[in-house]
Amino acid sequence: MSLKSYSRGRAVHVMLVYTGGCNGCDIEIVNCILSPKFDAEQYKVFLTWNPREADVLVVTGPVTKHNEGPLREIYKAIPEPKAVVAAGACALMGGVYKNCHGDIPSEEIAGPVDKIIPVDARVPGCAVRPQDIVAGLVSALPLILDAE
Amino acid sequence: MDDDKEKQTVIEAEIPMGTVHPAALEPYRVRLFVEDEIVRDAEITVGVNHRGVERIMEGLPVEKANSLTEKICGICSNSHIWNSCLVAEKALDIEVPERAQYIRIIMEEMERLHSHFLYLAHGNEVLGHETFAMRLFYIRETVMDLLGMIGGNRVQYGAPILGGVRPRCELDDKRIQKLKDGMDLMEERLAAFADRFVSDPMVMSRITDVGVISQKDALRLACTGPTLRATGVESDLRTEMKEYDPFEFDVITQDGGDVKAQLLTRVFENLESIKIIRQAIRDLPDGPITNRSWEMKDTPLTKSYIEVPRGTLYHSYALEDGRVRHCVIRTPSMANIGAMQHACIGHHITDAQLSIVQCDPCFTCTDRAIQIIKI
Ligand code: SF4
Repeated sequence: MSLKSYSRGRAVHVMLVYTGGCNGCDIEIVNCILSPKFDAEQYKVFLTWNPREADVLVVTGPVTKHNEGPLREIYKAIPEPKAVVAAGACALMGGVYKNCHGDIPSEEIAGPVDKIIPVDARVPGCAVRPQDIVAGLVSALPLILDAE
Repeated sequence: MDDDKEKQTVIEAEIPMGTVHPAALEPYRVRLFVEDEIVRDAEITVGVNHRGVERIMEGLPVEKANSLTEKICGICSNSHIWNSCLVAEKALDIEVPERAQYIRIIMEEMERLHSHFLYLAHGNEVLGHETFAMRLFYIRETVMDLLGMIGGNRVQYGAPILGGVRPRCELDDKRIQKLKDGMDLMEERLAAFADRFVSDPMVMSRITDVGVISQKDALRLACTGPTLRATGVESDLRTEMKEYDPFEFDVITQDGGDVKAQLLTRVFENLESIKIIRQAIRDLPDGPITNRSWEMKDTPLTKSYIEVPRGTLYHSYALEDGRVRHCVIRTPSMANIGAMQHACIGHHITDAQLSIVQCDPCFTCTDRAIQIIKI
């Protein structure tokens, strides 16, 4: 293990982006990092809102048309190596908003997330459970820690 | 000459925040127009989150549309599905069994609890006291677990269905015992938190006389819910709803309309909610929880207003062949946007975010208006 990845492992910064979901997933993620019950901070995982500081990008929501641009920008601003976790049914396949009625595509939704940026880990659920989020984050970590 | 000099030193600038911003959580855009460091004007733009839920609801069978309303907001999901059911029940004359009414009230009040806890935690985080925020998240976990136990999911629990509540949400003795214990625990912890909160001189000096909304302005801007009550107006739709008739509770008001009043309103409302849940558990009537003997028919436009954690929620739709037509939803944060802008004005720029957060914004459910461009 190189010195870089050792020090990265001591402080993994997670950035959370809301892209138009219902808030359910987002709050569960904030909850899972901040609340003393799940407390991902004890494993040195911190929440940040600064893309230049972040290692892991957690995206929730179906990505509305307005949010597509900002999401790309944020993804670009995160330094390498980076990992993306898509959390929630909305982020994975557009959720209930994607298809208006059957096959009529929605005019508002540009997503799901993997259409716009590459996704490394997928966490299902509507809303996602905090336990699953921790599992998803952990499965994305090797991408960052083992990078050269 | 001196006057000219003074004019030159005043710096006017525009500070944009958003759409993704650390303190805002949700995507929305704020523009602050500052003179030196005092905010002279503020503008909040929503619309980034627009997903067209009403349009998706149009033409869906009413049962499906009801469960879709839940996905409007992950914080007050029960309020949306409850109000949506109330519209159809009013239109089709469906009688809801009394036990189901009580369970709906229990779910709604628990939702108010977790929403207010989230608000308090977020408020404390924005004012820079992370320990309080974590403490509040910790207290909130109790109610989330209880909601998960009753509904099967911690966030979208979906208790109400047409004519009652989902059989999964039936309260048996074991669950009632857990509810009772949970309420006791939460009351104890909340009271302990409130004591520490009001006796902390640093926090109090940070939030007193910041982001003031006067009573006159609050009425002029048509605020609703706790935001209005924190300015001293006794306005609570729960006192007029027949579902709340069997329960005794106080309408909480505070004077001042500053951040302190806003935060304390929520703290005391939580204690009232615990009181209502206790009453509902004590008097829980026996009987069925769903009424399935009703017939679908075409109905004219029907509307329903209820009091939800953030204020007054409005749903209306008509039914045609069992499908939803002309659906309109108006959420309380829509009414409070004016207050958010107003609260920033005249204060220091560092208080702007706190002034916005104090009105409990939930832009995810507010983003429903569409702009029609004339060609
Ligand atoms: S997956 Fe469900 S809970 Fe999460 S943002 Fe979408 S609708 Fe909300």
